[in-house]
Formats: sequence, C-alpha cells, structure tokens
Amino acid sequence: MSAWARTAGLPAAALALVGGVLAVQLANGGGSFEPMRTADPCVERTVTAQADGIEGLTESLVLLGVDGAACRLDTSREAFVLELGQGGERTDAEIDALREGLRDAVRRMDDEGSLPPASDLVDEALDTAELNGFLEAAIRALPDSVVDAALKTDDVLLRAIDELDLRELLGDLDSQDELNAQLEVAITQAVKDSLAARLRDLI
Amino acid sequence: MRRAVAPLLAVTVALVLADSAVVTLALPDILQELDASVPQVAWVLICFNLVLGLVSVPTAMSLLRVSPRVPSAIGIAVFAGASAWCAVAGSIDVLIVARCVQALGGALALVGCLELMVAEWGERRGVAAWVTAGVVGTATGPVAGGLLTQAISWEAIFVVQVPFAVLAVPAALAVRAAPAQVPDRHRPEARPNLTLALLSAALTAALFLLVLLLVEGWRRSPATAALTVSVVPVAALAARPLARLLRASPQVEVAVGCFLVAGGLAGLAIPPSAYLAWTIAPQALVGLGLGLTVDRLTAQAMDMRLPRARHAGWTIAARHVGVVVGLAILTPVFTADLRDAQVPAQEAITALVIDAALQPQDKVDLAGALGEELSEQQGRVPDLHRAFTSLDLDPDDRLVADELERDLDSQLERAATHAFRDSFLIGSGLALAALATALLPRRRRTT
Repeated sequence: MSAWARTAGLPAAALALVGGVLAVQLANGGGSFEPMRTADPCVERTVTAQADGIEGLTESLVLLGVDGAACRLDTSREAFVLELGQGGERTDAEIDALREGLRDAVRRMDDEGSLPPASDLVDEALDTAELNGFLEAAIRALPDSVVDAALKTDDVLLRAIDELDLRELLGDLDSQDELNAQLEVAITQAVKDSLAARLRDLI
Repeated sequence: MRRAVAPLLAVTVALVLADSAVVTLALPDILQELDASVPQVAWVLICFNLVLGLVSVPTAMSLLRVSPRVPSAIGIAVFAGASAWCAVAGSIDVLIVARCVQALGGALALVGCLELMVAEWGERRGVAAWVTAGVVGTATGPVAGGLLTQAISWEAIFVVQVPFAVLAVPAALAVRAAPAQVPDRHRPEARPNLTLALLSAALTAALFLLVLLLVEGWRRSPATAALTVSVVPVAALAARPLARLLRASPQVEVAVGCFLVAGGLAGLAIPPSAYLAWTIAPQALVGLGLGLTVDRLTAQAMDMRLPRARHAGWTIAARHVGVVVGLAILTPVFTADLRDAQVPAQEAITALVIDAALQPQDKVDLAGALGEELSEQQGRVPDLHRAFTSLDLDPDDRLVADELERDLDSQLERAATHAFRDSFLIGSGLALAALATALLPRRRRTT
C-alpha cells in the first residue's frame, strides 16, 4: 500500500461513513423530528363536531370561539385552552375575548349556512326544559315554519352568548351537567328575549 | 491459579473502568427506589468519576515508594467492599458516599494492577492488556448495567462485581516480583491526555445521553436500551481490524477516531424518528471512533514514559475528569432543554385532543386525566397510557382513542428527541475540539 493510500485511506473511509450516515438521516426527515407546531388561530380552520343537536352545535361554536379568542389575545388556541384549564380567576380580557370569539363563531356559521333552523333547537330545548306541560304542548304544536319565522338561530345564539356567565361557566368546565344546565338557562332566556324582540318588531 | 492471576487483574481493571458508566441505565430505578431527586441521582455517576479523576495521580505517586502488591490488594478489597456497600445502600446519600469509597479503592486498584500486570506479562503485553481492559470496561459498562438492572435489579450491578474483585485480592498478592521502581523521569504528555479528556467528555454524551433518551425519552426498557447501546462496544472491537486493513499511522487513527465520534454524535442529534434502528449507524460511528482513539491515546500518553504508574494515573485522571466535565456541561443543557420542551409538547397534545374525533365529554374526561398524569410526573417524560385506560368508551371510540394515544406518544418522543439535540451537538463539538488538539502541529524541541 502506498504512503498516500496509508495516509488518506482511513480519513476518506471516515468521511464517506459520516457523510453517508448524516445524509441518510437528513433525507428521511432527521432535521424535523420535533413536536407539531400550533396553528395560527387567526387563520380560519374547518371544525367537525362529533356530537349531535345542541351539543354538536355547542361543540362547533366552542371550537371556533376558542380560536377567535386566542387570535384576539395574540396567543395560540392550545396555550389559551391550557391557561383556561389551570383554573383560578379569569381576567376581563380573557372573558371578553372568549365572548367575542363565540359571537364571531355564530356569525361565521351563519355565513356558511351551517347553523340549524331554530325549530331544531326549540324541540331539543323542550326535551330538557322543565316547562309547564300545557305551555310545552302549545309550543310543540306550532309548525316548524312558524317557529323558524319567529326565531332566527343566529339571533338566539348571540343573545344566549350575551346571557352566559362565562366566568362561572369556565369554573365548571369539568362537569358536563353543570355546563348543560347553564347553556339551557341561557338558551331558554335567549329564546324568550328573541321572541319578545320579534313581537316588538311586529307590533 | 498462576495462569488466572493476570486475567483476574485485567478483569478488575475492566470492572473499575466500567463502573464509570455502569449505573447510567439504573439511574431511573435508583431515583424511584431511593426517593431521590434528579441532581442527586446524577451525583451517583459524577462522584465516582470525580474521585477517580482527582485521586489517580496522587495514588500513582504514592505507589512509587512501595511495592504495588499489598496496596493493589488493599485497593481491590476496598473496591469490593464498597461495591457491596453500594448494593445495600438504603438512601441516596449512603450510595453516593459508597461510590466515592469505591472510586478511592478503584484508583489504587487501577494503578496497582498496571504494575502487577507488567510484572506478570512484561512491559509491552502488560501495558497493552491494561489499556485494552480499560477500553472494554468503558464500552461495555452501560450494556452490562442495563441488562443486570432489567434482569435482576440495580443492586445486582454492584453485587456481581464483588466475587470478581474478591478473587483478584489473592491474585494481586500472588504476583511474585514487582517491577523495579524508577525515579520521576518524564513530564506528563499533555496533548494525548487533553485529547483523551475532551474525547471522554464527548463519549459521555454518547453513552449517558443516549441511554437517557432511550429509557426516559422513548420509554424503552433498560434491557432494550442496553442491547441497543451494545452497538458501541461491538463497533469498537471492529475498529482495530479496520485500522490494520488501512494501515494508518497512530496519529491519523486518533484524528479519524475523533471525527467519527463527532459524526456519530451529530447523527444521534437528528434521528428521523424514535425507531431504535435510527441510532444504530450513528452508534457504530461512535464505537469505531472509540476503538480507534482511547487505546491509542492512552498508549501515546504512557509510551516509554517513566514512572509508568504516574503516567497511567494521568490518563485515568484525564478520562474521568473529562467525563465529569462532559456531565457538568451537558446535564444543565439537557435538563433545561427538557424543561423547555414541556410547553410545545403540552400544546401539541392539547391540539390533538381538541381535534380528536371523540365526543366532547370524553375529551373533557381525557383532558382531566392527562392533566393529572402530566402534573404527577413533573420533570419526567409522562406515561399517558393510564389516562386512556381510565376512559369508558364504546368500541368505535376506543379505536379512535388508541390512535390518539399513539399520536400523543409520538409527540412526547418528538419533544424528548428535540430536547436532547443540543446536548448531542455539544458532544459532537467536544469531539471536534479533541480532533483539533490531535491535529495541532507538534512543537519542535530545541536543543
């Protein structure tokens, strides 16, 4: 073996080995094996609710609303949710951002035509609401077209969002029953307010 | 019996040097069983290397004035006794003190065994066997420790050392003639010792960080981790035949070895996924580098330099101070990076849970259970499986939950791997610094 080969053989083999290993690692995504990055909450994302009825609608509104709130607070959706999960007193800025985020979500779903007709909401609300039997029967007797003409879903939801005590609601995040009870009260009140406003407009 | 004397002494050398990193894979078990903190458990590793690094030269100096037989036997006996003490230590403080005593005995045993092996096998073969035993011990320590921890317990690591060391005590006393003591003739060889120190710091990154990544980050068992890191000693064994084939000079071998270690550590910094196979080729590079460098550098530092024991002491000091320096540099870096990795990992997990195709109430329940797991296992990579087993789901949703669990585990693996990246790259930088010291032009001697 020549002197040159003796001097250069091992370094050349080492260069080839190191270069080959690093090239294979990088070619298979070695430089980018890191945690998923959070998405920009200000960019609209498509959400799919897993639940049906009012629960599914609430799920969609919350998913979109949290995005809107995070965008307003200049943070990520995930950081905002983790912050809410910590418990403790919520700031006015967080409450305001969440309320506005939920209102934006209603408007967006209305624009997309993905809000259900009010009659769907009323039927389901009646199933759980503890109303006078006569009154419940009277409302159920109304044709859907009458209900849909009298109530606009977006109006009911926007009023419900304004009715909601978000501070208290965020304190009961762990309990679905508590959450439902609060939503029910808010929606029932919103339906009443919406009907009253409609009547005022007609008169 | 006579034939067994020198091999028993070589085994003792390998055991003492294996102890430098033998507990690496047992650290999570020690942490849990002795109710210790992460910094305390790191001291189980650091204290042994620190004491060995600090006392090896003074120990070698003290041996110049006496016959090495009795001091070596005492050193081996202290090492054996302290190993037994480590095995029965009931608290982390006792274990750390026992490890310090183990290193004190180990230092005496190492330098004494060198003289005794030279007495038994002659200068050339004795020194070569002492160097090789050290390399084998260093490379196989984590593997042996991991297998014993998985098969029996962390205490077994120390228990199995006792009989070998006990047998080596009469072997040391049985050596007939100790070599003649020589006066202090040569100054320590700075360059190979410095290269050795920097390379040891880099190799610490390879062995210590890799097993931590495998066990803590990727949640593999100690046995799996041990089998995985066995690539390093196997490749180290293959290095010598490769070097013989290419007939490179010792200087070229050392420089190439440092480069291979640097390249291997860079490869470990960028695995494409958490599959163990992605660590094999980078580890092979590290192992080849280890096999090409440590014995050459040790031989260069000791070559024809007298008194032999003192120069051997310098090589031990360089290696173990290098390990301590490596741990001192890397531990704060990767612990801080692991802490910093928690936020992106939590956010990635939150995103996946929010977007999961599960019913809202199941998501709320899962989020609560995951939150409990994350807070319970603060400072460590959490095991999320319990959070999923606590869910009451129908069969369709269970399939979705299983897929979600895999995705969440993948995010944790990504976060842990990313957190180790800088430390591996620093290790690679240390190996390149070792390469720079090996490439520095030699100063010409003036007469």
